[in-house]
Amino acid sequence: MSGPLNNTVMWLTWRQLFAKRRLWLAIAFALAPAFFTLVFRLLADDGPSSEATFFGTLIREIVIGTLLPLAALIFGTTAFGGEVDDGTLLYLLVKPIPRWHVHASKLVVSVLSTIAVVAPAILIPGLLLSGPDVTTRGAVSYLAGAALGALLYCTVFLALGLANRRALVIGLLYVVSFEGILSRSLPGFKSLSIREFSLAAAQAASNGAIVIEGSVSPSTVWWMGTIILVAATYWTGFRLVRYEVAERL
Amino acid sequence: MTTTADLDRSSTLSPATTSSGACVELRNVSRWYGNVVAVNDVSFTLHSGITGLLGPNGAGKTTILHMMAGLLRPSVGDVLIDGAAATSSPQIYRRLSLVPEREAVQPFLSGYEFVRTCARLQSLPNAEEATRNAITLVDLAEAQHRKIGTYSKGMRQRIKIAGALVHDPMILLLDEPFNGMDPRQRLQMMDLLRELAAKGRVIVISSHILEELDDLATNVLVMVAGRLAASGHFREIRRLMTDRPHTFTVRSSDDRRLASALLTDPTVFGVELTTSGLVVRTTDRGAMTRGLARVARDARIRLVEIRPIDESLESVFSYLVDR
Repeated sequence: MSGPLNNTVMWLTWRQLFAKRRLWLAIAFALAPAFFTLVFRLLADDGPSSEATFFGTLIREIVIGTLLPLAALIFGTTAFGGEVDDGTLLYLLVKPIPRWHVHASKLVVSVLSTIAVVAPAILIPGLLLSGPDVTTRGAVSYLAGAALGALLYCTVFLALGLANRRALVIGLLYVVSFEGILSRSLPGFKSLSIREFSLAAAQAASNGAIVIEGSVSPSTVWWMGTIILVAATYWTGFRLVRYEVAERL
Repeated sequence: MTTTADLDRSSTLSPATTSSGACVELRNVSRWYGNVVAVNDVSFTLHSGITGLLGPNGAGKTTILHMMAGLLRPSVGDVLIDGAAATSSPQIYRRLSLVPEREAVQPFLSGYEFVRTCARLQSLPNAEEATRNAITLVDLAEAQHRKIGTYSKGMRQRIKIAGALVHDPMILLLDEPFNGMDPRQRLQMMDLLRELAAKGRVIVISSHILEELDDLATNVLVMVAGRLAASGHFREIRRLMTDRPHTFTVRSSDDRRLASALLTDPTVFGVELTTSGLVVRTTDRGAMTRGLARVARDARIRLVEIRPIDESLESVFSYLVDR
């Protein structure tokens, strides 16, 4: 045990997140972009500039725009939601561990699991397409942006998993409607979109290797990211400390 | 007549056996969910020994167990574990364990992994050894490396109990612990609980299987519609229920003559002649048993057997619930 992170809770959460079909789903998520890249390499022959365009679109739309929120949604809502649903959360609550340690441990595992899925989804295509226009720096910057997105998404989805038994459905609606449609079509919503924060962070980390038109400013990412992180973490911690086991558990 | 409310508004069970010092106390505890009152002004104190928590469905048993386990806050009143509020600190779980009624246990873990997880969460210095000991206690050594998802209902119950016992808690709260166990496993579990009680553990068992508690629990708490209807030893509770007639079966050398003789006794208000003897109903248990010997002697009838038939836990429970 080290500080607020409890090794046993982390191990249990990891086993829970990767139980049954979720492991195969995670592998599919992680390798799908590599598969698309291979298909592209086999079929397209338009030179380095089209590879850069393909890589940029693949990472922004498929990985950061779709796989990242979906992986975070599955891991974030399962970390608590699954245990609330089947009643096994009780076994953690009746142990001599502060409840916020349980939250911190689950959050860290959810974030790391999400990063473990998106890292190969970004790095393998980056390696397959590496050249003058697809640089290692660019790929690593996208990964840094995705890591920030993983942290923010998981913080929000962990809170959602504890708040509502239909967290997965609500989260999916959020990903599709807000992140997928509203934040892309209405400029005002960009400054609330975690996807936009991830892309802006990737751009900031790339030192010019990644250029995204109309991205939100780094200060917006910093302030809004901090607000989301603190608010969702505080709410989840508070909710868990006040959490009462219902009669049916 | 003594009413149940008089009997039990505040009761202390097993006060003489407090060697462990472990103690669970409820002081004027009420708990409601919205407009529904689940537990209404309940007070009692438990020390070492086995206490049966009885009541029909919806009587508030699970709510009380969850409040004792610090998983629910009382709306009013105090739930104290060794003098401290049950919800005050997670450190109470070093002394207290709960075995919930719900079957759910992480199905992707093996029995051994589940118990070891419980041991590690308790920060036990030798979690592996404690795990092996707890699994042996519940007789699951052979199946310990199988996934819990493949366990039968009884095996899940036993692995839950092993997880709860792994740190040797002073207070053990069990919600319907015998569900799904076969008769041999139940007897074995009852022996284990008796052994723990003899070592000074406070054990509270919520169960609807009255015959088991009849043998096991030295004391009972009877919940009816959220209120504590009675507490104490169930035979003592029965004796105090003076508004209910006491019923005996009596066998003698001449049941028919004894029946007519007994009807002259003012404390006897009903005699029924059956193939297995007389069924005698009386309002005054003590006077009737003394009078019966006198009536039999005067009528020169030899008494073979006198047996109370409504002093079982089940009878007491039915009387209290039907009030």
